[in-house]
Amino acid sequence: MSTELKKALYNISALADLGQAITSENDFHEKIQSVLYVITGTFLANKGALLFYDKTTNKLSTLTQKGFAPADLNRLNPKELMSLGRNEPYLIGDDPVLAVAGAEILTPLWVRDEFIGALLLSGKLTVGPYTLEDLELLNVIANQIAIALNNHSLFMDLSDKLEENRKLYEEMRHIYHGTLQAFAAAIDAKDAYTKNHSHRVAKYSAAIARELGWDEHEIEGMYVAGYLHDVGKLAISNTLLNKVTPFTPEERAEIRKHSTLSHSITAKIKFPWKNVEDIVWHHHERLDGRGYPEALAQESLSDGVRILSLADSFDAMTSQRPYREKMDVQSAIGELRKNLESQFDHKVMLVFCKVLDKEIKGELPEPDILPHLDRDSDLSVISALLEGIIAELSTP
Amino acid sequence: MKSVQFSVASRREGDAAIIYPKGYLNNLSGENLVIECGIYIGKGITKIVVNFSETDLINSIGISMLLQIIEDLKNIKGTICCTNMSKLLRDTFEMLGLMQHMLVFPVESDALTYLKTGKL
Repeated sequence: MSTELKKALYNISALADLGQAITSENDFHEKIQSVLYVITGTFLANKGALLFYDKTTNKLSTLTQKGFAPADLNRLNPKELMSLGRNEPYLIGDDPVLAVAGAEILTPLWVRDEFIGALLLSGKLTVGPYTLEDLELLNVIANQIAIALNNHSLFMDLSDKLEENRKLYEEMRHIYHGTLQAFAAAIDAKDAYTKNHSHRVAKYSAAIARELGWDEHEIEGMYVAGYLHDVGKLAISNTLLNKVTPFTPEERAEIRKHSTLSHSITAKIKFPWKNVEDIVWHHHERLDGRGYPEALAQESLSDGVRILSLADSFDAMTSQRPYREKMDVQSAIGELRKNLESQFDHKVMLVFCKVLDKEIKGELPEPDILPHLDRDSDLSVISALLEGIIAELSTP
Repeated sequence: MKSVQFSVASRREGDAAIIYPKGYLNNLSGENLVIECGIYIGKGITKIVVNFSETDLINSIGISMLLQIIEDLKNIKGTICCTNMSKLLRDTFEMLGLMQHMLVFPVESDALTYLKTGKL
């Protein structure tokens, strides 16, 4: 085989190496490093550099290089390179402007009308000038590298924008939750006995939803519904909310308006979560249809309503109220169990018991319910009670 | 074709270092070859024998690594000897004109004899 043919085969193989380097699963830096090795190995150059043009700063930055003095590469003016041919190798010779970097051959990298950067080579090991074949091969290589760099640049731009959007979204979420918490604080502040009630109901509801296997977006919606379920109480008089003696039928009717008021308020908000307003509206409905405001029953009640109903009732029972003492945790659980099917959902109750039992046993890293329970509670007794209910409810 | 994971072993013999690349010299792991030689050069060794008995194939990336070693040794007026090369490897080096920048011996012992005595 003639030397020319061998060289041609070697060049073809180098192009294959380049393709492999560009399309490898390596990270960008490793890809670029491999690309430079392929080029220096192909052209037997001891010096090589790949520069990237940042159009926002109008500067060239070195992606990778070997053999050049970094300061020399920094002296290259992108404008000078742009005036050269597109992806056409340029023999620098004695060019007074381009010789500053100490390169022998420079190829400006372009994709369509976009200047991407430059490829520099120098220090050819073997004697003799670059041949026409060398320059043609370099042109092919430059085209491929330019596209690869441009793709990476587009990808990075997109990633930056995505990251920017993600941060914005997170900030908005943060503000959103801050606003909700302020709302909840305003609701709870109206009634000295329900301090942090909305916060706890939100936590309990989210814990149940999580245990039910809901996705994070749905859980967040449940959390928000928990926070806002009593927002309608803002329109109920403080005197009535804090009344110590039993309500008259008229007062009871007035108090009961709060869930419809909650719905009216939340319906005006465009939530990113489904059914928040429906959940807060019906959190006092019962499975047997004896709840309010619409006396809905069974299938008419969504899972969200069933979760909030149980979480709200449990917290109400375990909290001090002006008209009664707070219930201990065992009694409250017993009360929930007693009202299964008539008021509370079987599946939601089972999941509530499971999640509380897991929290007591330390199986959940961040408990949502346990930290809010009475510190004097006997956890082993509660756990035994929960285990019994879980076994009972799990039996088909 | 399944390529063997590239690795490098080495040993010292007198004032020379013998490097044993193993596998296909075709990716960034080939940098280990340059690093290994660099370690010996850093210790003042100027004679390096690269025994290619377990490296049949080399691509442009591998050639680039070899260029680096040649350059590093040139800078300290050192010698690189290549031995146990397959015909394919020898043909590639010859075609690229690399033979002028290295000493080539059929086997490692020939290279060591030359480096010790100055003759074959």
